Amino acid sequence: MIELILSLLVAVVLLLTLYLFARRSKPSAEGSAQQLREARQTLDSLQVGLLPNDLVQRIFAKEDLEYVLSAAPADVRSLFLLERKNIALAWVRRVRGAVLDLMRFHRGYARLYARLSLSTEMLLALNFFSLLTVCQLLQIAVHLRGPYAAPGMVRTVATAAGRVCSISESSLVFLKVKQIDPLKNDPSRHGASV
Amino acid sequence: MPFPAEYSNVDLAADDLRRRTLSNMPAPLERLIYLGSTRDYNTGLYYHDGLASRYSEMVACQALANCHREAYQQLLQSSVRDLVQQVDSYVKSTRSAPRDFIAAWKSLQPYRVAVPAETDPLASEFLCSNVKIALAIWESLQFGRSRQQPGASLPQ
Repeated sequence: MIELILSLLVAVVLLLTLYLFARRSKPSAEGSAQQLREARQTLDSLQVGLLPNDLVQRIFAKEDLEYVLSAAPADVRSLFLLERKNIALAWVRRVRGAVLDLMRFHRGYARLYARLSLSTEMLLALNFFSLLTVCQLLQIAVHLRGPYAAPGMVRTVATAAGRVCSISESSLVFLKVKQIDPLKNDPSRHGASV
Repeated sequence: MPFPAEYSNVDLAADDLRRRTLSNMPAPLERLIYLGSTRDYNTGLYYHDGLASRYSEMVACQALANCHREAYQQLLQSSVRDLVQQVDSYVKSTRSAPRDFIAAWKSLQPYRVAVPAETDPLASEFLCSNVKIALAIWESLQFGRSRQQPGASLPQ
């Protein structure tokens, strides 16, 4: 009798667990659409936030430093270094923020929709981790030694961010489907600056 | 494309603008300031009488907006050395007294309002920072405070 009760209890617990799992993986249609929209916005903002590569190169161009050091008086040289330091830190903060947003999304929702493979998820996790670490190191280097302290790290951050972005994009390719939010894909909304 | 005719008109108007007006302004900085000044700050719309009479107000507005963004992108890619050169040629084109020009640009910072709409805030901050530095270097070269004294000259 005791064995029967125990078996029944185990069965009830298992059923309850299954029910909870089923509920978690089937959010409401409205909620899903909202989450997909947010996810796509996060992905888009990461791509926009990364800035074009040529602009990043311009920000960290040694050519400007050399010219300013050779042509400008001391006060202008200090102003230049301070301005570039602020821009460099703002760029690193932006990349870091965008990557954290995307990471949050992947942790929270992506696996429910994207059917990511284990290897893709592992690769993404590794890339997220290494990118965040390099961002942190770059931030410290720029703080302590100025914007031209670690050109190698700048290249690493830019390349790794681009890589994370393309892995995410390919794993979340369904987010680019126009039907999710037709208004967002209206071509007339793009290109007009007025 | 939903409006092919309208789009090609915008391209024609932009080419017209480049040929007739902007070709007299070799420096992107000059073009940026000029195109920024054709925008109504209350509505964000661009106006150009000649262009509007040849095409339409809407087409002229879009063409001006496109050329404005183009000048902005070119300026973003300019090095500090190049910007100093552009500031110099801009001052010469306005025929302002250097001291008056410096005083006005330092206090009013017109390049800040000349940035096109919907541009990336970090990119426009970078541009304004570069113009500020170029202005400071130009000032030092003009008034003999540069590191290259004596005989300091503008970059060629």
